[in-house]
Amino acid sequence: MTPGPLQIYRDDGPLARAIGRLVAAPEAIVAVLGAAVLGVVLGLSDDATPAGLLIGGVALAVVIVATGAGRPHDGAFSWLVPPVLRALEYAGLIRLTSLADPDAMPICFALLAVLAFHHYDIVYRLRQQGAAPPAWTRTVGGGWEGRLLVAAVLAAFDVLGTGMLVAAIALTCVWVGESVASWTSYARALRPAVIDDEEAEDE
Amino acid sequence: MSASAHPRPVRARRRSLGIAAEGTAAVLFATAAGDTGGPAATLPLGDTTILGRLIEQLATLDVARAWVITRPQWADAVEAAAAGADVEVAVVASPDVADDLRAAVDATADVSGPLLLARGDAVTQREALAGLMADPRIVSGILVSSSSARGAWSFPTRSARGRVVSAASGYHMVRKPGPFFLGLLKVDPRDRAALADAAGRLADLLDDPPERWRNELARKATAWRAGQWLTERKGQGAERPEPAQWGTLELQPQSEATLDLRVRTARDDAVSLLLVGLVRSEVALANRHLRGFFYGRPRNAETAAEAWDRLQSVDEDRIALDAAVKGSDGFFTTFFVSPYSRYIARFAARRGWTPNAVTILSMVIGAVAAAAFATGSRAGLIAGAVLLQAAFTFDCVDGQLARYSRQFSKLGAWLDSVFDRGKEYLVYAGLAIGATQGFGDDVWTLAAAAMTMQTARHALDFSYGAGQRQVIATMLQLPLEHPEDTAGARSAVDADVADASVDDDTEDPLAAAEREREGDPEADGPEEEAAAPGEGEGEGEAARPRKPPPPLFSRRWFARKGRRAIRRFRRLDRFPALRWGKRIFVLPIGERFALVSITAALFSPKVTFIALLVWGGLAFLYAFMGRALRSLSR
Repeated sequence: MTPGPLQIYRDDGPLARAIGRLVAAPEAIVAVLGAAVLGVVLGLSDDATPAGLLIGGVALAVVIVATGAGRPHDGAFSWLVPPVLRALEYAGLIRLTSLADPDAMPICFALLAVLAFHHYDIVYRLRQQGAAPPAWTRTVGGGWEGRLLVAAVLAAFDVLGTGMLVAAIALTCVWVGESVASWTSYARALRPAVIDDEEAEDE
Repeated sequence: MSASAHPRPVRARRRSLGIAAEGTAAVLFATAAGDTGGPAATLPLGDTTILGRLIEQLATLDVARAWVITRPQWADAVEAAAAGADVEVAVVASPDVADDLRAAVDATADVSGPLLLARGDAVTQREALAGLMADPRIVSGILVSSSSARGAWSFPTRSARGRVVSAASGYHMVRKPGPFFLGLLKVDPRDRAALADAAGRLADLLDDPPERWRNELARKATAWRAGQWLTERKGQGAERPEPAQWGTLELQPQSEATLDLRVRTARDDAVSLLLVGLVRSEVALANRHLRGFFYGRPRNAETAAEAWDRLQSVDEDRIALDAAVKGSDGFFTTFFVSPYSRYIARFAARRGWTPNAVTILSMVIGAVAAAAFATGSRAGLIAGAVLLQAAFTFDCVDGQLARYSRQFSKLGAWLDSVFDRGKEYLVYAGLAIGATQGFGDDVWTLAAAAMTMQTARHALDFSYGAGQRQVIATMLQLPLEHPEDTAGARSAVDADVADASVDDDTEDPLAAAEREREGDPEADGPEEEAAAPGEGEGEGEAARPRKPPPPLFSRRWFARKGRRAIRRFRRLDRFPALRWGKRIFVLPIGERFALVSITAALFSPKVTFIALLVWGGLAFLYAFMGRALRSLSR
């Protein structure tokens, strides 16, 4: 089945998709529930919180939300899911940064800006080109769940700032590059056939 | 002198590039009678006729071939009226509306380009026609007007998310009627099969109209009778008669003749029937609003002369420029930017600037504004505030330029949206740097939080819209035999109305541009239909038996409470101050940028972020609550 726009807006990575294939929970309810769990875990954490507990808490929240990933998103409240996913990922990254590496907040801002580009690009290209960025762009990005889990692990090893910097640079290259390439080929596809003939004559 | 004598340079250039659709064909229905019994389409208009002028206008819009369908006894008059323009015209004589539909399909069987189906007795401006025909974003679509004066003798439609979901004809009704269909229907080649199929089924039904159809037309005729009766007594303080008496009201002979003509015109309204046919076949049709342009269907030489005077007295370029301004912008944009940005748009159009160049210019100014904010000095913050407003002005100009000069591109729309967001978040970063530089504040967390909230807010708008479009795409339409539209359509999606809880800069651009009711000065004018009690379609609601109240806190209880709350809230829109208040409160892009400029110039970046978070948070909550209520009430 081809995914609808709401499923594409989710920006699931391989892990969330795998969980979504195993369990099919009501997507809006588990999204709100998981966001609440994440809020409690990160809200109550401080510098003294054991790394294992923090990672475990983030993982629990991620798994709860991901159980709704495989559903068709045609319920009355399915529209709630993408904004909740945006909020929990971005706010989660901000909170992890402030816990583990407060000086890296400008880097966190930069990473969030790259993520925002990707998330807006999905919506605007679906609207303008009629097709969202290919699925591999979401797989490579790791999905909201992958990025949150990796950030929690990096925070535990005290390398969150470096990790976010590398991620921001790498993801910029992949996502912006792919978007520019898509527009180049889109413009070429729209060009009238006459120009193709001229090119053929040049050869 | 009319401005149409001076075609705008951009348009001329565009046509030479061949961007406009080639090989457009038109079918014009000259089947409506005038007051004196002859065809209304051949009434004199200026130095030509209504039909002749329409064909001349179409000739300038790349229409190469036209078929005019008329009654056999009018064929000669119509032939004479249609001759002269640079269009290959064929007159087709047809005895009744069923054969009109068959003739329209048969004649155009070999047309490969877009097809325009229109009434031959319509008087409007070329630019109004161009808005429908030359806009590549409208694949298949219709021209509508919310003004009941413009829509006199036309039938209403209902749209959701910019798509027509219900349409009326003489035999069909619309629940919760919206704008009137002005009898101009553009059909893309991809929808031609659906058109032919619908026309065939309609024609077969029309050969022997089903009883339900005849009852529906009789119901309309009764309501129109009451309307005529009230018109006769206008200004005499006559009380509205009870619906049960409408059918027996006595009219003066002249009113009786007008009523009879109106019923016959409705019965023969082939374009409205075709529209119903397409909508019921689930063809996606877009709306193009008439906005400030003129539209009329004169029925006698006198009203035709009035229409001609109206056309001569208006500045078509002026209206085109006004129409280039989005109707649904926020308060700040509407009152502080659009009044002058449209002149920049016209200036840009005359110099042949492209919208994309303006978009990029706006982004560059935005980046300079961010750099000025980053200095953190008072002078830098003030300079940044001014530059941000300049960037926002050009941000409005690009869209107005695109609409005014009709240069639309998918890449341009993407660039516009992405650069809007890019500008905003770049300014956040500039302010965060400036806070460290000039104030010793570390506000990166606040900046990141503000960006998070704005992104989540946009995601909320996008997702809700996508969900609605999904519902519309899967909405079932009733077969053509049914006069009423789907019962399910009543609550499944929000009908397009001026809606304060929608952030305009995140909406589907076309839908957003058209969702606002047009600002027609004559909308509340002294039109004959204003007092008509029967125009409210689907007023059988009161007659339905009352359901018992649902149990407390059940699904139905929530639905009922939700519907009531929404209705009450909508009622507030009657007060302009409250309507604008709602629109300001949702913090659209103009208000956001103004908030950033003012707080940064007067106070500090920290204040800017706190203001964005507090106001934005409340706006988020408001938008969320509105949508949650609506979802509950389904």
